[in-house]
Amino acid sequence: MAEQVPTKRQKREEYRRGIQAQQDSTEDGSVVKMPQKKFFRQRAHANPFSDHNLDYPISPAHMDWSSHYPAYVDPDTSKTNLSGARQLTKNVEVVDIGCGFGGLLVGLAPLLPDTLMVGMEIRTQVLEYLTSRIHALRAQQQNLKNKSANPAPTEASTESTTEAETGSDSKAPATDDDIGTTKIFPGNFENIAAIRSNTMKFLPNFFGRHQLSKIFICFPDPHFKARKHKARIISESLNAEYAYALRPGGLLYTITDVEEYHHWVLRHFLRQPEDATKGKGEGETGSDYKAEAVHAPGIKDMWERVSDADLAADPCVRVMQFETEESKKVTRNNGKKFVAVFRRLADPEWPSS
Amino acid sequence: MPSLRHPFQCLRYVARESAGQSDLLIATAGAKVYSYSASTGDCLDVFPSADESIVSDDLNSPPGKRRKLSSPSEQKDEQSESAGKQSKEDVKLTWSSIPLLIVAQGKYVIFLTAEDKCIRVYSLKDNGQFVKESVRTMPKRPSVLALTPNENDILCADKFGDVYIIPVIPSAEYKRVVAEEKEYAPSATNLTVHTKRNLESLEQQMRQAALKKKASAEATALNFEHQAIIGHVSMLTDMVSVTRPADSTISHPRNYILTADRDEHIRVSRGHPQAHVIEQYCFGHTSFISKLCIPSWAPNVLISGGGDKHLLVWNWVEGQVLQKVPLSESETDITVSGIWAVSDNADGLKSIFVAFEGSSQLLCYALENDNTLKQQETLQLSGNVIDLVSIGSKDTIAVSVDNLREPNSTSVWRSSPQALLETFRVEAGKWVPAEDSIVSSINTDSSTLVHTELDEKTTKSLNEQLYGLSVLRKNGWN
Repeated sequence: MAEQVPTKRQKREEYRRGIQAQQDSTEDGSVVKMPQKKFFRQRAHANPFSDHNLDYPISPAHMDWSSHYPAYVDPDTSKTNLSGARQLTKNVEVVDIGCGFGGLLVGLAPLLPDTLMVGMEIRTQVLEYLTSRIHALRAQQQNLKNKSANPAPTEASTESTTEAETGSDSKAPATDDDIGTTKIFPGNFENIAAIRSNTMKFLPNFFGRHQLSKIFICFPDPHFKARKHKARIISESLNAEYAYALRPGGLLYTITDVEEYHHWVLRHFLRQPEDATKGKGEGETGSDYKAEAVHAPGIKDMWERVSDADLAADPCVRVMQFETEESKKVTRNNGKKFVAVFRRLADPEWPSS
Repeated sequence: MPSLRHPFQCLRYVARESAGQSDLLIATAGAKVYSYSASTGDCLDVFPSADESIVSDDLNSPPGKRRKLSSPSEQKDEQSESAGKQSKEDVKLTWSSIPLLIVAQGKYVIFLTAEDKCIRVYSLKDNGQFVKESVRTMPKRPSVLALTPNENDILCADKFGDVYIIPVIPSAEYKRVVAEEKEYAPSATNLTVHTKRNLESLEQQMRQAALKKKASAEATALNFEHQAIIGHVSMLTDMVSVTRPADSTISHPRNYILTADRDEHIRVSRGHPQAHVIEQYCFGHTSFISKLCIPSWAPNVLISGGGDKHLLVWNWVEGQVLQKVPLSESETDITVSGIWAVSDNADGLKSIFVAFEGSSQLLCYALENDNTLKQQETLQLSGNVIDLVSIGSKDTIAVSVDNLREPNSTSVWRSSPQALLETFRVEAGKWVPAEDSIVSSINTDSSTLVHTELDEKTTKSLNEQLYGLSVLRKNGWN
């Protein structure tokens, strides 16, 4: 075992250097390989209270988005923000908090081709995978566009290579990694990006007041122990931050496979969770009530739950339920999925006394 | 052997309107709170009271031994006990410092005893003595205390990033809602955990639950009226509660709470009960923030400082930096430990004082009409600046200085002690040192003693009590 660890690490490092080299030289339109997840695995938990070694902008006006969305950089070079970076023609509007390997973003990209979306992930290796994946997807789209412009079938090997490679990611069906290899998608994946961040601390450093229209929180770390509940990504105080970043009418999507967490979510967004009493004894422990202080109820007036009928009509919900890596895993294990979507209401009136 | 006195960690001036009541100077030093008459300088009362403190002083050495925090159930008992028994309880002092002190409605002294996380409220009698009102143990150690604009409620911010609102005087009828004991079921299932180890531990949990059906009702919830109203995922370092007066843009005055944290954020929230509405962030600091100051005469202006080598002056309503005030040219790190706004009634001088941790200099600025700071002559004190209080009736300021350590050092102890308080008053538009009979009477009063034979552990903990801000700086990984 002792020498197996370094060899595994060596393999990973070598592989990732190769991916990096490919990224640096893909502009010529040669064969583009998708990165493989197995070289980017990382322990699923990160301590949100630690300082880490994060890069974050001083304020949203200091954020350099231009390197993340090169296709949306404003052609007017005189337009720069406070850090001197080029501005974009539009603002980022959709955030996937804890985007993981990016299944949701890749699934949403063609659905909302004109909306800029960003995934935020705290784990470096996972983020590295997603950055390479987006890069490869964009390059493939570029190749396909070139091909359709001058149809010389010299790149026929692209698809077969990619599929052979992804097939080795044994459990997953090969579809999630080779998406985009065969046809041109609207938006060409130019509208998605991923950055490393701890959103529990630094979400307001990236987005101004009411900037976002959608926030996704998919299969968050459940932090089962009551002692760890403070590390959960849903809480009254974080909901106040989400309400700050979301515009009135904006939506916050949650999905989890842990029923207890689902009730936790409902409890933290709604004064009278309609199905909080449902399934009691299954997931409700009661112990988490004990450790909690009483929170002022006002924050729950900022949210209303979106009805099931509205959800059925929302294609984003389907992507969230079936196209994220975690949701596929839950499907494979015959687990249950619990969806709750909340609409951010308008701010209350200032007291007039 | 010569005895040293603890420096005053917090100073508050209590102006009392009604006749027959003298103004008071409330000060904390070490584990005690003192009430001084502002007209004579006499010490009127000490918390904990004198006969207790004789016993407790003995217990206090060595103060390295700290009692385990009392559990809330004990706390309940303590509260229900009679006052006589209470004093007995206090004898085993569970704290060694009182880092936070505020005064509400001119008659309630609210302070935090550090190690046991208790917010203690005492009312002031006409003769300046303390009368116990309440003791409340917070879930985490509070780092800031403030008051709502009507001074009926305490705002308490802690190191875990939460702000609680609790009434100054708890209402008698409050009853804790006890969640009914539910049967334990782990929130994980074999559908959500898959690895061998996780499945094993899940099984283990099930077995444990079956074994002891009813674990001891470990009530960690707070047993007094409270609400959590704001939360950061960071350590809160300062908080101010402010009322923005009605003007051309708003028809009614609006209350706000500003909170600052270690991750460079200044958050502007609405006042209670709408504190969940975040109106603004003031971005611009690049290191932790330690102090916020909104002058009472300029409620739209915020001055903030911390680990940066500059202060920022803000229009906090808009989140705009009005001015960046450089503080130091040198390479060494500085930490702002205090920002105080003092307005002088007689001369119309509006001064902002700034102190650094472990520095005997007190920077002085004038807040100009265009809301910018203009540097004035720096005041030099005989020891490190700790706290400052404005004595309105006399147009003077009293500065508490560290009498134990050498000036500009946070660890080297002096051989001979110095004065605790120094006073300044305005002459010809400048702050100049002033003699004050009351302050000299307080300086010569000999009530708090620190034993001179200090072992390393004691001095270290005493140093940490006064100079704890610079640890907030983040360590770069490179």
